[in-house]
Amino acid sequence: MSETSARILVPVGESSTFRNTAAYATREARRVASETGEEATVHFVYPVRWQLVDELERSASEEVADILDRARVWAAEDLDYDDDGEIDDDGVPVSIETAVVGEDRYLFSPSDFADVLLEYARDRDLGRIIVDPEYQPGGSAPMLQPLELELSRSDRIVEEAPVDRVVERGRFPSRSNLSKALVMFGASFSFYLLLAGVLDTFNLLTGAVSAGIVTTVFSRITFRETPKAGRLLRRTGRFILYVPYLLWEILKANIEVAYIILHPSLPIDPKIQRYRAAIWDDLSVTTLANSITLTPGTLTVDVDRDSLVIHSLTGSARDGLADGPLERAVRFIYYGRAAARIPSPRERGTVEDESVPPTPEEP
Amino acid sequence: MTPLEYLVSGLVLAGVFFGFVAVVGIIRLPDLYTRAHATSKSDTLGTVLSLGGVVLLFGADVAAVKTALLLLFMFITNPTAAHAITRAAYEQGIEPWTADDGGGD
Repeated sequence: MSETSARILVPVGESSTFRNTAAYATREARRVASETGEEATVHFVYPVRWQLVDELERSASEEVADILDRARVWAAEDLDYDDDGEIDDDGVPVSIETAVVGEDRYLFSPSDFADVLLEYARDRDLGRIIVDPEYQPGGSAPMLQPLELELSRSDRIVEEAPVDRVVERGRFPSRSNLSKALVMFGASFSFYLLLAGVLDTFNLLTGAVSAGIVTTVFSRITFRETPKAGRLLRRTGRFILYVPYLLWEILKANIEVAYIILHPSLPIDPKIQRYRAAIWDDLSVTTLANSITLTPGTLTVDVDRDSLVIHSLTGSARDGLADGPLERAVRFIYYGRAAARIPSPRERGTVEDESVPPTPEEP
Repeated sequence: MTPLEYLVSGLVLAGVFFGFVAVVGIIRLPDLYTRAHATSKSDTLGTVLSLGGVVLLFGADVAAVKTALLLLFMFITNPTAAHAITRAAYEQGIEPWTADDGGGD
Protein backbone atom coordinates (compact mmCIF):
# COMPACT_ATOMS: atom_id res chain seq x y z
CA MET A 1 0.00 0.00 0.00
CA SER A 2 1.48 3.33 -1.01
CA GLU A 3 2.11 6.32 1.20
CA THR A 4 -1.26 7.80 0.38
CA SER A 5 -4.22 7.04 -1.78
CA ALA A 6 -6.90 8.84 -3.75
CA ARG A 7 -9.39 6.10 -2.96
CA ILE A 8 -10.93 7.21 0.30
CA LEU A 9 -13.49 5.79 2.70
CA VAL A 10 -15.32 8.06 5.13
CA PRO A 11 -17.46 6.50 7.86
CA VAL A 12 -20.63 8.53 8.23
CA GLY A 13 -22.74 9.36 11.24
CA GLU A 14 -24.66 12.29 12.67
CA SER A 15 -21.95 14.74 13.70
CA SER A 16 -21.41 18.48 13.89
CA THR A 17 -18.18 18.50 11.92
CA PHE A 18 -19.15 16.06 9.22
CA ARG A 19 -19.62 18.83 6.67
CA ASN A 20 -15.96 19.79 6.99
CA THR A 21 -14.78 16.21 7.00
CA ALA A 22 -16.62 15.55 3.75
CA ALA A 23 -15.00 18.63 2.23
CA TYR A 24 -11.56 17.58 3.44
CA ALA A 25 -11.98 14.06 2.07
CA THR A 26 -13.00 15.22 -1.39
CA ARG A 27 -10.19 17.80 -1.48
CA GLU A 28 -7.66 15.18 -0.49
CA ALA A 29 -8.95 12.74 -3.09
CA ARG A 30 -8.55 15.37 -5.77
CA ARG A 31 -5.14 16.51 -4.56
CA VAL A 32 -3.69 13.01 -4.44
CA ALA A 33 -5.29 12.07 -7.74
CA SER A 34 -3.78 15.09 -9.51
CA GLU A 35 -0.36 14.20 -8.10
CA THR A 36 -0.38 10.49 -8.79
CA GLY A 37 -2.84 10.20 -11.63
CA GLU A 38 -4.81 7.66 -9.65
CA GLU A 39 -8.53 7.47 -10.16
CA ALA A 40 -10.12 9.48 -7.34
CA THR A 41 -13.11 8.24 -5.41
CA VAL A 42 -14.72 8.96 -2.06
CA HIS A 43 -17.06 6.44 -0.46
CA PHE A 44 -19.34 7.62 2.32
CA VAL A 45 -20.27 4.58 4.36
CA TYR A 46 -22.87 4.43 7.09
CA PRO A 47 -22.57 1.47 9.49
CA VAL A 48 -26.01 0.85 10.97
CA ARG A 49 -26.54 -0.65 14.38
CA TRP A 50 -29.97 -2.01 13.83
CA GLN A 51 -31.97 -3.92 11.32
CA LEU A 52 -34.48 -1.88 9.44
CA VAL A 53 -37.31 -4.34 9.64
CA ASP A 54 -40.24 -2.59 11.19
CA GLU A 55 -42.45 -1.45 8.39
CA LEU A 56 -44.09 1.07 10.70
CA GLU A 57 -40.77 2.64 11.43
CA ARG A 58 -39.36 3.68 8.16
CA SER A 59 -38.08 6.88 9.71
CA ALA A 60 -34.77 5.37 10.83
CA SER A 61 -33.85 4.22 7.35
CA GLU A 62 -35.02 7.55 5.97
CA GLU A 63 -32.67 9.36 8.33
CA VAL A 64 -29.77 7.27 7.10
CA ALA A 65 -30.69 7.91 3.47
CA ASP A 66 -30.99 11.58 4.32
CA ILE A 67 -27.53 11.84 5.84
CA LEU A 68 -25.97 9.98 2.92
CA ASP A 69 -27.79 12.25 0.47
CA ARG A 70 -26.44 15.27 2.26
CA ALA A 71 -22.93 13.85 2.14
CA ARG A 72 -23.27 13.36 -1.60
CA VAL A 73 -24.59 16.87 -2.17
CA TRP A 74 -21.90 18.49 -0.04
CA ALA A 75 -19.16 16.56 -1.72
CA ALA A 76 -20.49 17.55 -5.13
CA GLU A 77 -20.59 21.18 -4.05
CA ASP A 78 -17.06 21.08 -2.75
CA LEU A 79 -15.85 19.64 -6.00
CA ASP A 80 -17.16 22.64 -7.88
CA TYR A 81 -15.16 25.10 -5.85
CA ASP A 82 -11.58 25.08 -4.77
CA ASP A 83 -10.25 26.62 -1.58
CA ASP A 84 -10.59 30.20 -2.84
CA GLY A 85 -14.27 29.71 -3.49
CA GLU A 86 -13.73 30.04 -7.21
CA ILE A 87 -15.32 27.75 -9.67
CA ASP A 88 -12.84 25.11 -10.59
CA ASP A 89 -13.89 23.22 -13.66
CA ASP A 90 -10.71 21.66 -14.79
CA GLY A 91 -9.95 19.64 -11.64
CA VAL A 92 -9.58 15.91 -11.67
CA PRO A 93 -12.95 14.14 -11.57
CA VAL A 94 -13.76 12.53 -8.24
CA SER A 95 -16.48 9.92 -8.07
CA ILE A 96 -18.69 9.92 -4.99
CA GLU A 97 -20.38 6.79 -3.69
CA THR A 98 -22.54 6.13 -0.68
CA ALA A 99 -23.35 2.87 1.08
CA VAL A 100 -24.97 1.39 4.16
CA VAL A 101 -23.11 -1.48 5.82
CA GLY A 102 -23.64 -3.77 8.77
CA GLU A 103 -27.37 -4.29 8.30
CA ASP A 104 -27.12 -8.03 8.76
CA ARG A 105 -25.13 -7.94 12.00
CA TYR A 106 -25.29 -6.72 15.50
CA LEU A 107 -22.56 -4.11 15.68
CA PHE A 108 -21.51 -3.67 19.23
CA SER A 109 -17.83 -3.11 19.90
CA PRO A 110 -15.38 -0.83 18.08
CA SER A 111 -13.85 -3.89 16.45
CA ASP A 112 -17.24 -4.84 14.99
CA PHE A 113 -17.45 -1.43 13.35
CA ALA A 114 -13.85 -1.62 12.20
CA ASP A 115 -14.53 -5.05 10.69
CA VAL A 116 -17.45 -3.98 8.52
CA LEU A 117 -15.66 -0.81 7.42
CA LEU A 118 -12.45 -2.64 6.55
CA GLU A 119 -14.36 -5.34 4.75
CA TYR A 120 -15.98 -2.66 2.63
CA ALA A 121 -12.63 -0.96 2.04
CA ARG A 122 -11.04 -4.24 0.95
CA ASP A 123 -13.90 -5.08 -1.41
CA ARG A 124 -13.72 -1.69 -3.10
CA ASP A 125 -9.93 -1.40 -2.84
CA LEU A 126 -10.03 1.84 -0.86
CA GLY A 127 -6.60 2.59 0.55
CA ARG A 128 -7.31 5.43 2.92
CA ILE A 129 -9.81 6.00 5.69
CA ILE A 130 -10.62 9.49 6.88
CA VAL A 131 -12.48 9.63 10.17
CA ASP A 132 -14.54 12.55 11.37
CA PRO A 133 -13.24 13.74 14.77
CA GLU A 134 -16.79 13.98 16.11
CA TYR A 135 -17.89 10.64 14.70
CA GLN A 136 -19.51 8.52 17.41
CA PRO A 137 -20.69 5.21 15.97
CA GLY A 138 -21.54 3.88 19.42
CA GLY A 139 -24.10 6.55 20.17
CA SER A 140 -24.06 6.56 23.93
CA ALA A 141 -20.61 5.02 24.28
CA PRO A 142 -17.53 6.97 23.26
CA MET A 143 -15.71 4.70 20.88
CA LEU A 144 -13.94 6.85 18.34
CA GLN A 145 -10.44 6.28 19.67
CA PRO A 146 -10.76 2.49 19.97
CA LEU A 147 -12.31 2.46 16.51
CA GLU A 148 -9.36 4.35 15.04
CA LEU A 149 -7.02 1.96 16.81
CA GLU A 150 -8.81 -1.06 15.35
CA LEU A 151 -8.82 0.50 11.90
CA SER A 152 -5.13 1.30 12.02
CA ARG A 153 -4.31 -2.36 12.63
CA SER A 154 -5.11 -2.96 8.98
CA ASP A 155 -2.93 -2.08 6.02
CA ARG A 156 -5.08 0.96 5.23
CA ILE A 157 -4.03 4.51 5.97
CA VAL A 158 -6.15 5.92 8.77
CA GLU A 159 -6.34 9.54 9.77
CA GLU A 160 -8.59 11.95 11.55
CA ALA A 161 -9.81 14.83 9.45
CA PRO A 162 -8.08 18.06 10.60
CA VAL A 163 -11.24 20.08 11.04
CA ASP A 164 -12.04 22.67 13.65
CA ARG A 165 -14.61 21.56 16.08
CA VAL A 166 -17.43 24.04 16.08
CA VAL A 167 -17.94 23.78 19.81
CA GLU A 168 -15.44 22.14 22.09
CA ARG A 169 -17.74 20.21 24.34
CA GLY A 170 -17.23 17.17 26.44
CA ARG A 171 -17.35 13.94 24.51
CA PHE A 172 -20.98 13.47 25.08
CA PRO A 173 -22.32 11.15 22.51
CA SER A 174 -25.55 12.73 21.49
CA ARG A 175 -26.98 16.17 21.60
CA SER A 176 -29.70 16.86 24.06
CA ASN A 177 -33.04 17.86 22.69
CA LEU A 178 -36.50 18.64 23.92
CA SER A 179 -38.16 15.27 23.53
CA LYS A 180 -35.25 13.43 25.13
CA ALA A 181 -35.39 15.86 28.03
CA LEU A 182 -39.18 15.57 28.32
CA VAL A 183 -39.23 11.78 28.39
CA MET A 184 -36.37 11.73 30.87
CA PHE A 185 -37.97 14.36 33.09
CA GLY A 186 -41.36 12.68 32.97
CA ALA A 187 -39.94 9.29 33.85
CA SER A 188 -37.79 10.47 36.74
CA PHE A 189 -40.43 12.83 38.10
CA SER A 190 -43.14 10.18 38.14
CA PHE A 191 -40.76 7.67 39.69
CA TYR A 192 -39.94 10.15 42.42
CA LEU A 193 -43.61 10.82 43.13
CA LEU A 194 -44.36 7.11 43.12
CA LEU A 195 -41.75 6.52 45.78
CA ALA A 196 -42.86 9.56 47.74
CA GLY A 197 -46.42 8.30 47.71
CA VAL A 198 -47.95 11.63 48.72
CA LEU A 199 -48.68 14.42 46.28
CA ASP A 200 -48.07 17.47 48.46
CA THR A 201 -46.26 20.68 47.61
CA PHE A 202 -43.02 19.57 49.22
CA ASN A 203 -42.77 16.37 47.21
CA LEU A 204 -43.82 18.05 43.98
CA LEU A 205 -41.15 20.71 44.45
CA THR A 206 -38.27 18.47 45.52
CA GLY A 207 -39.32 15.97 42.85
CA ALA A 208 -39.23 18.62 40.14
CA VAL A 209 -35.79 19.79 41.29
CA SER A 210 -34.39 16.24 41.43
CA ALA A 211 -35.88 15.28 38.08
CA GLY A 212 -34.48 18.51 36.66
CA ILE A 213 -30.99 17.66 37.84
CA VAL A 214 -31.25 14.10 36.57
CA THR A 215 -32.49 15.36 33.22
CA THR A 216 -29.69 17.90 32.79
CA VAL A 217 -27.04 15.38 33.64
CA PHE A 218 -28.31 12.26 31.95
CA SER A 219 -30.68 13.05 29.10
CA ARG A 220 -27.78 13.18 26.68
CA ILE A 221 -26.52 9.74 27.48
CA THR A 222 -29.74 7.87 28.14
CA PHE A 223 -31.10 7.87 24.64
CA ARG A 224 -29.24 7.33 21.47
CA GLU A 225 -32.09 8.18 19.21
CA THR A 226 -34.67 10.81 19.83
CA PRO A 227 -37.61 9.02 21.44
CA LYS A 228 -40.80 9.28 19.44
CA ALA A 229 -44.07 9.15 21.30
CA GLY A 230 -45.72 6.69 18.91
CA ARG A 231 -42.90 4.21 18.95
CA LEU A 232 -42.47 4.51 22.69
CA LEU A 233 -46.15 3.81 23.29
CA ARG A 234 -46.23 0.91 20.85
CA ARG A 235 -43.19 -0.67 22.46
CA THR A 236 -44.51 -0.16 25.96
CA GLY A 237 -47.84 -1.68 24.95
CA ARG A 238 -46.19 -4.71 23.39
CA PHE A 239 -43.91 -5.04 26.39
CA ILE A 240 -46.91 -5.20 28.70
CA LEU A 241 -48.24 -8.06 26.56
CA TYR A 242 -44.87 -9.77 26.87
CA VAL A 243 -44.71 -9.72 30.67
CA PRO A 244 -47.45 -12.32 31.39
CA TYR A 245 -46.01 -14.56 28.68
CA LEU A 246 -42.55 -14.28 30.22
CA LEU A 247 -43.90 -14.93 33.72
CA TRP A 248 -45.62 -18.08 32.50
CA GLU A 249 -42.43 -19.25 30.80
CA ILE A 250 -40.46 -18.53 33.97
CA LEU A 251 -42.88 -20.57 36.06
CA LYS A 252 -42.65 -23.53 33.66
CA ALA A 253 -38.87 -23.20 33.61
CA ASN A 254 -38.66 -23.33 37.34
CA ILE A 255 -40.82 -26.36 37.76
CA GLU A 256 -38.65 -28.11 35.20
CA VAL A 257 -35.41 -27.06 36.88
CA ALA A 258 -36.79 -27.93 40.32
CA TYR A 259 -37.67 -31.41 39.03
CA ILE A 260 -34.18 -31.90 37.64
CA ILE A 261 -32.45 -30.64 40.77
CA LEU A 262 -34.54 -32.73 43.16
CA HIS A 263 -34.45 -35.85 40.98
CA PRO A 264 -32.21 -38.46 42.64
CA SER A 265 -30.14 -39.17 39.53
CA LEU A 266 -29.77 -35.50 38.51
CA PRO A 267 -30.61 -35.96 34.77
CA ILE A 268 -28.61 -33.12 33.24
CA ASP A 269 -26.75 -32.85 29.96
CA PRO A 270 -25.19 -29.41 29.88
CA LYS A 271 -23.77 -27.91 26.74
CA ILE A 272 -22.65 -24.55 25.44
CA GLN A 273 -24.00 -23.35 22.14
CA ARG A 274 -23.50 -20.33 20.00
CA TYR A 275 -26.59 -18.89 18.57
CA ARG A 276 -27.04 -16.09 16.07
CA ALA A 277 -30.00 -14.08 17.15
CA ALA A 278 -32.01 -12.15 14.61
CA ILE A 279 -32.19 -9.01 16.70
CA TRP A 280 -30.12 -5.96 16.29
CA ASP A 281 -29.85 -3.37 18.98
CA ASP A 282 -28.68 -3.00 22.55
CA LEU A 283 -32.02 -2.88 24.26
CA SER A 284 -33.53 -5.87 22.49
CA VAL A 285 -30.37 -7.96 22.84
CA THR A 286 -30.41 -7.20 26.55
CA THR A 287 -34.07 -8.13 26.84
CA LEU A 288 -33.52 -11.38 24.99
CA ALA A 289 -30.40 -12.29 26.92
CA ASN A 290 -32.10 -11.71 30.24
CA SER A 291 -35.25 -13.54 29.17
CA ILE A 292 -33.16 -16.52 28.07
CA THR A 293 -31.45 -16.58 31.44
CA LEU A 294 -34.80 -16.57 33.22
CA THR A 295 -36.39 -19.37 31.19
CA PRO A 296 -36.11 -23.15 30.76
CA GLY A 297 -32.64 -24.39 31.61
CA THR A 298 -30.84 -21.81 29.49
CA LEU A 299 -28.34 -19.22 30.56
CA THR A 300 -26.75 -16.45 28.53
CA VAL A 301 -23.01 -16.67 29.05
CA ASP A 302 -21.73 -14.13 26.61
CA VAL A 303 -22.80 -11.80 23.86
CA ASP A 304 -20.43 -10.95 21.08
CA ARG A 305 -20.80 -9.66 17.61
CA ASP A 306 -24.10 -10.96 16.43
CA SER A 307 -24.38 -14.04 18.54
CA LEU A 308 -25.29 -15.16 22.02
CA VAL A 309 -23.34 -17.87 23.80
CA ILE A 310 -25.78 -19.95 25.75
CA HIS A 311 -25.29 -22.63 28.33
CA SER A 312 -28.17 -25.06 28.48
CA LEU A 313 -28.89 -27.56 31.20
CA THR A 314 -30.84 -30.19 29.26
CA GLY A 315 -31.56 -31.28 25.71
CA SER A 316 -35.17 -30.21 25.89
CA ALA A 317 -34.10 -26.72 26.95
CA ARG A 318 -31.93 -26.55 23.84
CA ASP A 319 -34.80 -27.58 21.63
CA GLY A 320 -37.02 -24.96 23.21
CA LEU A 321 -34.46 -22.31 22.47
CA ALA A 322 -33.95 -23.39 18.88
CA ASP A 323 -37.68 -23.13 18.26
CA GLY A 324 -37.25 -19.48 19.05
CA PRO A 325 -40.47 -18.43 20.77
CA LEU A 326 -38.64 -15.99 23.04
CA GLU A 327 -36.68 -14.45 20.24
CA ARG A 328 -39.88 -14.01 18.29
CA ALA A 329 -41.57 -12.37 21.26
CA VAL A 330 -38.69 -9.95 21.76
CA ARG A 331 -38.75 -9.04 18.09
CA PHE A 332 -42.46 -8.44 18.41
CA ILE A 333 -41.86 -5.91 21.19
CA TYR A 334 -39.19 -3.91 19.47
CA TYR A 335 -39.92 -4.23 15.81
CA GLY A 336 -43.60 -5.14 15.51
CA ARG A 337 -45.59 -7.99 14.11
CA ALA A 338 -43.85 -8.22 10.74
CA ALA A 339 -40.52 -8.93 12.40
CA ALA A 340 -42.07 -11.64 14.55
CA ARG A 341 -42.60 -13.71 11.41
CA ILE A 342 -38.88 -14.17 10.75
CA PRO A 343 -38.14 -17.93 10.87
CA SER A 344 -36.94 -19.59 14.07
CA PRO A 345 -33.22 -20.09 14.77
CA ARG A 346 -33.53 -23.77 13.87
CA GLU A 347 -35.06 -22.97 10.49
CA ARG A 348 -32.39 -20.37 9.84
CA GLY A 349 -29.73 -22.87 10.88
CA THR A 350 -27.98 -20.43 13.17
CA VAL A 351 -27.43 -22.64 16.19
CA GLU A 352 -24.05 -24.27 16.51
CA ASP A 353 -22.22 -26.10 19.23
CA GLU A 354 -19.54 -24.21 21.05
CA SER A 355 -17.89 -27.17 22.69
CA VAL A 356 -14.58 -25.73 23.81
CA PRO A 357 -14.51 -22.29 25.34
CA PRO A 358 -11.72 -20.05 24.11
CA THR A 359 -8.56 -19.99 26.14
CA PRO A 360 -7.87 -16.65 27.76
CA GLU A 361 -5.88 -14.26 25.65
CA GLU A 362 -2.34 -13.60 26.70
CA PRO A 363 -1.97 -10.02 27.82
CA MET B 1 -57.97 -17.61 57.92
CA THR B 2 -59.40 -15.51 55.12
CA PRO B 3 -58.97 -16.52 51.46
CA LEU B 4 -56.41 -13.74 51.12
CA GLU B 5 -54.34 -15.18 53.92
CA TYR B 6 -54.46 -18.61 52.25
CA LEU B 7 -53.26 -17.05 49.04
CA VAL B 8 -50.46 -15.16 50.76
CA SER B 9 -49.35 -18.26 52.67
CA GLY B 10 -49.44 -20.26 49.45
CA LEU B 11 -47.24 -17.73 47.68
CA VAL B 12 -44.76 -17.47 50.52
CA LEU B 13 -44.60 -21.27 50.86
CA ALA B 14 -44.00 -21.64 47.13
CA GLY B 15 -41.31 -18.96 47.45
CA VAL B 16 -39.63 -20.88 50.24
CA PHE B 17 -39.86 -24.07 48.19
CA PHE B 18 -38.08 -22.53 45.21
CA GLY B 19 -35.51 -20.95 47.52
CA PHE B 20 -34.91 -24.43 48.89
CA VAL B 21 -34.57 -25.83 45.37
CA ALA B 22 -31.97 -23.17 44.62
CA VAL B 23 -29.94 -24.18 47.66
CA VAL B 24 -30.14 -27.89 46.82
CA GLY B 25 -29.17 -27.03 43.26
CA ILE B 26 -26.09 -25.12 44.34
CA ILE B 27 -24.96 -28.10 46.40
CA ARG B 28 -25.81 -30.87 43.95
CA LEU B 29 -25.01 -29.45 40.53
CA PRO B 30 -21.51 -30.21 39.26
CA ASP B 31 -20.00 -26.93 38.05
CA LEU B 32 -20.22 -23.19 38.01
CA TYR B 33 -22.35 -22.95 34.89
CA THR B 34 -24.99 -25.39 36.05
CA ARG B 35 -25.04 -23.84 39.50
CA ALA B 36 -25.70 -20.48 37.95
CA HIS B 37 -28.87 -22.02 36.54
CA ALA B 38 -30.05 -22.77 40.04
CA THR B 39 -29.25 -19.32 41.38
CA SER B 40 -30.59 -17.35 38.46
CA LYS B 41 -33.89 -19.14 38.00
CA SER B 42 -35.07 -20.80 41.18
CA ASP B 43 -33.74 -18.00 43.30
CA THR B 44 -35.48 -15.33 41.26
CA LEU B 45 -38.80 -17.10 41.33
CA GLY B 46 -38.47 -17.85 45.04
CA THR B 47 -37.89 -14.22 45.90
CA VAL B 48 -40.52 -13.02 43.49
CA LEU B 49 -43.19 -15.35 44.88
CA SER B 50 -42.45 -14.32 48.45
CA LEU B 51 -42.52 -10.65 47.51
CA GLY B 52 -45.76 -11.27 45.61
CA GLY B 53 -47.22 -12.52 48.88
CA VAL B 54 -46.02 -9.36 50.56
CA VAL B 55 -47.65 -7.21 47.89
CA LEU B 56 -50.99 -8.93 48.45
CA LEU B 57 -50.69 -8.50 52.19
CA PHE B 58 -50.05 -4.77 51.86
CA GLY B 59 -53.15 -4.45 49.67
CA ALA B 60 -53.82 -1.21 47.80
CA ASP B 61 -51.04 0.82 49.32
CA VAL B 62 -47.93 2.70 48.22
CA ALA B 63 -45.87 0.06 49.97
CA ALA B 64 -47.38 -2.55 47.64
CA VAL B 65 -46.34 -0.52 44.61
CA LYS B 66 -42.84 -0.18 46.00
CA THR B 67 -42.64 -3.91 46.61
CA ALA B 68 -43.82 -4.51 43.06
CA LEU B 69 -41.01 -2.27 41.85
CA LEU B 70 -38.60 -4.28 43.93
CA LEU B 71 -39.92 -7.35 42.15
CA LEU B 72 -39.23 -5.77 38.81
CA PHE B 73 -35.66 -4.93 39.78
CA MET B 74 -35.09 -8.51 40.94
CA PHE B 75 -36.14 -9.65 37.48
CA ILE B 76 -33.61 -7.37 35.88
CA THR B 77 -30.66 -7.73 38.25
CA ASN B 78 -30.71 -11.47 38.95
CA PRO B 79 -30.15 -12.70 35.42
CA THR B 80 -27.64 -9.92 34.88
CA ALA B 81 -25.60 -11.07 37.87
CA ALA B 82 -25.72 -14.70 36.74
CA HIS B 83 -24.64 -13.58 33.30
CA ALA B 84 -21.73 -11.58 34.71
CA ILE B 85 -20.48 -14.52 36.76
CA THR B 86 -20.71 -17.11 33.99
CA ARG B 87 -19.23 -14.73 31.49
CA ALA B 88 -16.23 -14.17 33.71
CA ALA B 89 -15.79 -17.94 33.95
CA TYR B 90 -16.20 -18.35 30.21
CA GLU B 91 -13.58 -15.74 29.45
CA GLN B 92 -11.20 -17.44 31.85
CA GLY B 93 -11.63 -20.53 29.69
CA ILE B 94 -13.25 -22.70 32.33
CA GLU B 95 -14.54 -25.87 30.68
CA PRO B 96 -18.19 -26.59 31.36
CA TRP B 97 -19.04 -29.91 32.91
CA THR B 98 -20.60 -32.34 30.44
CA ALA B 99 -22.47 -35.61 30.83
CA ASP B 100 -19.32 -37.50 29.73
CA ASP B 101 -17.32 -36.07 32.60
CA GLY B 102 -18.99 -37.75 35.49
CA GLY B 103 -22.14 -39.76 34.87
CA GLY B 104 -24.01 -38.40 37.86
CA ASP B 105 -22.28 -37.32 40.99
